[in-house]
Amino acid sequence: MFFRKKCHGEVMTWSHCPVNTATAEIDGMSSTPVIDVERLNLTYGDFHAVKDLSFQVERGELYALLGTNGAGKTSTLETVEGHRTAASGTVRVFGKSPRDRRAVRPRMGIMLQESGFSPDLTVRESVRLIGKLTQRTDQVERVLGIVDLTRKATTKVSQLSGGEKRRLDFATAVYGAPELIFLDEPTTGLDIQSRDDLWGAVDRLREDGSTVVLTTHYLEEAQQRADRIGLMHKGALYREGTVSELTRMLPAAIRFFLADPVPALPLRATREGGGKVLIETFDLQKDLFTLLRWAQDQAVELRELQAGPTRLDDVFRALSSD
Amino acid sequence: MFPIALSELVQIFRNRLVLVTSLVMPAAVSAVFIYQHEGFAALGSLGYIAAVVMFTIGAFGLYATTVTTLASRRQNLFLKRLRSTAAGDAAILAGLLLPITVISLVQVAVIMTVLAVVTGEPDNVLLLAAAVLSMVIMMLGLGLATAGVTNSPEHAQVTTLPISLGAVAVVSWVGISGTEELTLLKRLLPGGSATELVLNAWNGGASLADSLILLAPTLSWVIVAVALASRIFRWEPRR
Repeated sequence: MFFRKKCHGEVMTWSHCPVNTATAEIDGMSSTPVIDVERLNLTYGDFHAVKDLSFQVERGELYALLGTNGAGKTSTLETVEGHRTAASGTVRVFGKSPRDRRAVRPRMGIMLQESGFSPDLTVRESVRLIGKLTQRTDQVERVLGIVDLTRKATTKVSQLSGGEKRRLDFATAVYGAPELIFLDEPTTGLDIQSRDDLWGAVDRLREDGSTVVLTTHYLEEAQQRADRIGLMHKGALYREGTVSELTRMLPAAIRFFLADPVPALPLRATREGGGKVLIETFDLQKDLFTLLRWAQDQAVELRELQAGPTRLDDVFRALSSD
Repeated sequence: MFPIALSELVQIFRNRLVLVTSLVMPAAVSAVFIYQHEGFAALGSLGYIAAVVMFTIGAFGLYATTVTTLASRRQNLFLKRLRSTAAGDAAILAGLLLPITVISLVQVAVIMTVLAVVTGEPDNVLLLAAAVLSMVIMMLGLGLATAGVTNSPEHAQVTTLPISLGAVAVVSWVGISGTEELTLLKRLLPGGSATELVLNAWNGGASLADSLILLAPTLSWVIVAVALASRIFRWEPRR
């Protein structure tokens, strides 16, 4: 459903639909980060929500800001979007203050964590209104087609399901193919088909040069899509890097069950009870081969054998337990 | 501003509750005052009827709808959504409040025209227009301030009562008893000097200079209300 749409009034594939707005020209700043956060601090009364946070997002990147609940990622995101004021530190978006709405907002699309539409307006009216206010140009019907809401165009927002509201939210964020898109929990409440469609749309926007900042609780989405990930914990940036850089810090795991009596293993292992054995390794291939050869020699069955590299979930669990 | 205003107008006419409480009820009350104008004129004056009509629409149409609209749009995060665009805060507020302001002005103009046709023309139309405008600005300011302490449209039914009822009470007090006694107090109360201005404009008998001075207390209330609003108005619900 995504592939042939009107792009700024003409039918073409979205992959050839260029990033919008008059400000999309190369402004001589392509080497500077799209987002530059330096020593950001946010406070709510006595509560220090974000502490000395610094990160940059480069043009064309998909940067995922992840963290435990209450880590400060939404506060950070909302400050970068221009919704909040920093207690200290600097935030620059396209080299400007994000609170300079006239300069910055036409170049960015924001998908909020919660809906925020007027229940008495229809889907088409909502997209048209927000689209006009972004000062980008686009076709409302094209955008509705992207999120498969064409048939709901005359339906009031109050009559939409939760998933449809999220799609409407996404539609307003990508109206006019902005240079920078903020996606705050974009797939929460979406069925699998809608998720795939949404990510397909994001992929096409990125092919056209859009930069994406993502927060999500679905770690596999971040693992699959993000160029770089910032892991926040207790208001600070705990780790930052590519998925492989982050997962490289933790050992890979080999898990299996052994029936009693348990023979002496060829590798250092942790017994987790119920016959479950965990072997952590930084050289998965070599140690797995050693284990399998030992099992064959000893005629031992390694039941429910699982082996794999460290996943983002494991990094996240290590973070949560810290 | 205008796209927001247009969408707000659509919403007003789609929301029957707002339509009835903000537009139909004040108009109906005003119609009763005009229908019974002889009795009310005997109680106060024709200027009193004009002042009551003006403040009924101002308080229950403009002011209450301003508070309800802003509380509702904040509660469902529509204000935050609008602030996620390139629109500035002033343009957002102006867009949200323009339709009800225009509707209220049209209502006041139509009803006063009917009153004039039925009872006779006011002594000074321009002065009357100044009184209406100052009342509108004051009610908008007070609406913004009240919206700051109003969490939801339901809450607005409570938070708007003191000023709505208070303003109508002040109008009746000033309109019936005049300002010869307790002059300063009556003029300083919200709506007091605006009422006296309407009385002067409709009934005549006061000099233009004396009447124009009455704009000052009304506009002072605007300053107080805007100062309060700038401190307590919130764009997002409390967390």
